Amino acid sequence: MSTAGETGWIGRSLARREDARLLAGRGEYLADLRVPDCLHLCFVRSAHAHARIGAVRLEAALAMPGVAGAITGAELSREVQGQRIPVLIPAFPARYRQYWPLAVDEVYWHGEPLAAVLAEDKYVAEDAAAAVEVDYEPLPAVTDAEAALCAGSPRVYDDWDDNEIFATGYTGGFEAEGIARNDAEVDALFAGADVVLSQRFRTQRCGVCPIETRGALALWSDADGLTLHLTTQRPHIERLALADLLELSTSEVRVIAPRDQGGGFGVKAPFYREHVVVCHLARKLRRPVRWIETREEHLMTVSQERDQIHDLEIAADSEGRILALRNRGIGDVGDGRQGVYWGFVMPSLGSVMLPNAYAIRHADIKLRCAVTNKTCLSPSRSFGALPTRFALERGLDMLARRLGLETAELKRRNLITDFPYTTVTGVHHDSGDYVKAWDTLLERVDLPGFRALQAEARTQGHYLGIGFACGAEFSGIPSDVLVPLENQPGYGVVTMRIDPRGKVAIHEGDAPQGQSHETTMAQVAADAFGIHPDDVSVRHGDTGTTPLSSGTIGARGASYTVAAIAEAAAALKAKMARYMIHDHGLEDADPADFAFQGGAVVYEKDGNVRRDFGALADRIVMGSINLPPGESPGLEHTAYFEAPKPMICFTAQAAKVEVDVETGQFVILDYATCEDVGTVINPIVVEGQVQGGVVQGMSNAMFEEFLYDENGQQMTADFETYRLASAADVPTVTVSHAPTPCPDHPMGVRAVGEGRPGPVPGALANAICDALAPFGVEITALPLKPETILALIEAGRAGEGA
Amino acid sequence: MKKEITVTVNGEAITHTVPLRLLLVDFIRDECGLTGTHVGCTYEGRCGACTVQVDGRALKSCMKLAVQADGKEVTTVEGLAREDRLHNLQKAFSRYHALQCGYCTGGILMNAVDFLNENINPSEDEVRRALVGNLCRCTGYSHIVEAILAASAMRHGLKPVPPPAETEPAP
Repeated sequence: MSTAGETGWIGRSLARREDARLLAGRGEYLADLRVPDCLHLCFVRSAHAHARIGAVRLEAALAMPGVAGAITGAELSREVQGQRIPVLIPAFPARYRQYWPLAVDEVYWHGEPLAAVLAEDKYVAEDAAAAVEVDYEPLPAVTDAEAALCAGSPRVYDDWDDNEIFATGYTGGFEAEGIARNDAEVDALFAGADVVLSQRFRTQRCGVCPIETRGALALWSDADGLTLHLTTQRPHIERLALADLLELSTSEVRVIAPRDQGGGFGVKAPFYREHVVVCHLARKLRRPVRWIETREEHLMTVSQERDQIHDLEIAADSEGRILALRNRGIGDVGDGRQGVYWGFVMPSLGSVMLPNAYAIRHADIKLRCAVTNKTCLSPSRSFGALPTRFALERGLDMLARRLGLETAELKRRNLITDFPYTTVTGVHHDSGDYVKAWDTLLERVDLPGFRALQAEARTQGHYLGIGFACGAEFSGIPSDVLVPLENQPGYGVVTMRIDPRGKVAIHEGDAPQGQSHETTMAQVAADAFGIHPDDVSVRHGDTGTTPLSSGTIGARGASYTVAAIAEAAAALKAKMARYMIHDHGLEDADPADFAFQGGAVVYEKDGNVRRDFGALADRIVMGSINLPPGESPGLEHTAYFEAPKPMICFTAQAAKVEVDVETGQFVILDYATCEDVGTVINPIVVEGQVQGGVVQGMSNAMFEEFLYDENGQQMTADFETYRLASAADVPTVTVSHAPTPCPDHPMGVRAVGEGRPGPVPGALANAICDALAPFGVEITALPLKPETILALIEAGRAGEGA
Repeated sequence: MKKEITVTVNGEAITHTVPLRLLLVDFIRDECGLTGTHVGCTYEGRCGACTVQVDGRALKSCMKLAVQADGKEVTTVEGLAREDRLHNLQKAFSRYHALQCGYCTGGILMNAVDFLNENINPSEDEVRRALVGNLCRCTGYSHIVEAILAASAMRHGLKPVPPPAETEPAP
């Protein structure tokens, strides 16, 4: 294993190799692809949240000049398979409802696609889509998940006896007896506790919509089959599913994620129905077909996550030590028809993640998920966990206030300190020093100093507050978890090739969307081989040239994929060393005796025995005579990395705010995090990941909310009504580090991409409530709207007066 | 309904006959083939990814028709570098890691160049306010603000605040 000291590309803030093309406007995004003779596809989407579809009349659309075709859901359903196929179904006992790419007979949410038109350009395609006439017979819309779970509720699906798609418990094992015993233990701990906090917490429907929407460009060739360029985080899974749905051989399907994608954050991970329509029509018409999602479609259809209610109870002793948790969660998953998550996998993982980084030995955690007449939840960074992070972090602050304790101290007291640790919901914490990260953060925010400042400010009518939260987040997900969760392998894999000039090519089956793989992964390989990162290229996202991988999801890049790069490099280095031993007649030498540094391979026991890295590669690839016994020529290796258990990274976060008690508006004065991401490959890239994740959390907490009216009409389908945080809404996020190397990763890396937004709403709300402690304000729902905060202040003032 | 227009795009006069309803952003992307100008919202002028300069001023090209640019000079992000020499702001964006996916970046650059032309020595607050018309979903804005401030400082021959984690030139 190479270390930074030997070769030195790890831990350096190299400017990114992606930047030159992106800054010059020469990125290669999906919508930038140009192919001749391409048709533009536009979907006709349901105007109702729930309705029976009568006639769908395409005639007017088809009569328009420039229109090349159109198809209804009924017609399409006779030509492709339904989307309930094994590759898209995880291993949970749940209701997986059959559906087709375009609605047949009935629509279940406002915006569900029910027909598609094709035209020579997108302007004509939109005109034609608007000319399609649809007869609807409206049905009652189910829009409240809690009400939907009550007996007698109107049903989303009339052939289901209720609206429950999934329900389970996460504690006490899988047998009824064990669960009952566990729950009784928890009941007893609650009965004997010094203090019990019971509170409902709500997180609104919101997500992390990327600035680039979804899109697909399908090309059909009778000789080679289907080539699909697609905005996707997992091209290989897409390929398998498409082959099954279109009844093609996998040898006839190639999926290519563009080299550049404009953000994903989970939104581009599911298998979406629109892609099937694009591919099928390209095949049927034997012409390229392109669909570029509009922002309106995007906001009506995807990027909707969170949307959970948690009735959380915390039992604690008088010193704030948590004795037990009880939680009853409700997830509003929308229509629940979308592989591979079916809406409920996110809230389900959220419940698993509820205990977070706290040493909570006893808990009774259960979840029920309801279908409603809304679009299906699709994943957003901090997958399912943002609502449970908000509930517990807020709940612990309320507990601290009730006990008269400093919240930062109460949380510190409950952090996991004995590693490895398995939470009551089964999450494995490999190692770490959460207290060190917490203390580093406390030092950074100068808590005693802030308390003094806060007291003084209050005497002058200024309300300052500080809030804390943390997150123990998955650093990638191993097969142990990913196979049951998503029916996909969790290993990290790369194919690495060294050419006769000593240039290294890394082929990864993932599909990044801004995560800097081309830079950081080149740094890792360059470090291992003692060459320059310029001599390493990283290619990704093409199923025709890369090994099968689950994709860029769940912070798998720096954890699993980088680990595979380290292992592939180690295997190739060993092979190169064996050739050195053979060629130089060093019978007593061991492959470990060779150093790879400065572009050369050097025998450490005799510095005169050395070969230029490129010359050695040339000898092995091109000079395939006089091989070492039993050795193959060539320098290519595919490495699979699997961690025995999930790896974890940790973030501690603190917000400082000032609240205007006359308006309920607040300003974030400071936001600081302390990270344990183990070995840092590229510090400025890591900092960017943290800052971006934190601001996504701020934006979710402060502004974003998908609103549906009582008829299920979606009212927030543009960026005016669905508001994202701008630069003026947020402060500079400062990032510090308290690293501990991950023992299960060959380089000690912990990944950073996934979890960072999760703790933010809790930290912000806690800061606001701390500022407003004189009014007894306790926020229990998101988003943090000024009018809601003002109402709580006024309620506090009224209570004071009474 | 179509009309012949002549637009000078990145210094080159381009004459096309275009439908009256063609948006300027689509003219730039589809007729001129300059795909560095992006679309991120519903042509509502909110995301700013389509920002270009028209006669030297930043403008969201989804909010104008191509015919409205007839006779005008349009500069897109592709025209920012001169003879392959990156603009100072482009260099600062790389050095401060002010882009991740890069999708919003072109629009931000075109807005920020105009802003820095009008604001000799802006404060952080002024930079943040100048960016409200450009949404970025990856970076959290911190590095973007630092990069713009650094480019401003470099223009005055001042030593900019170094990046938070000192970056090295692209390998």
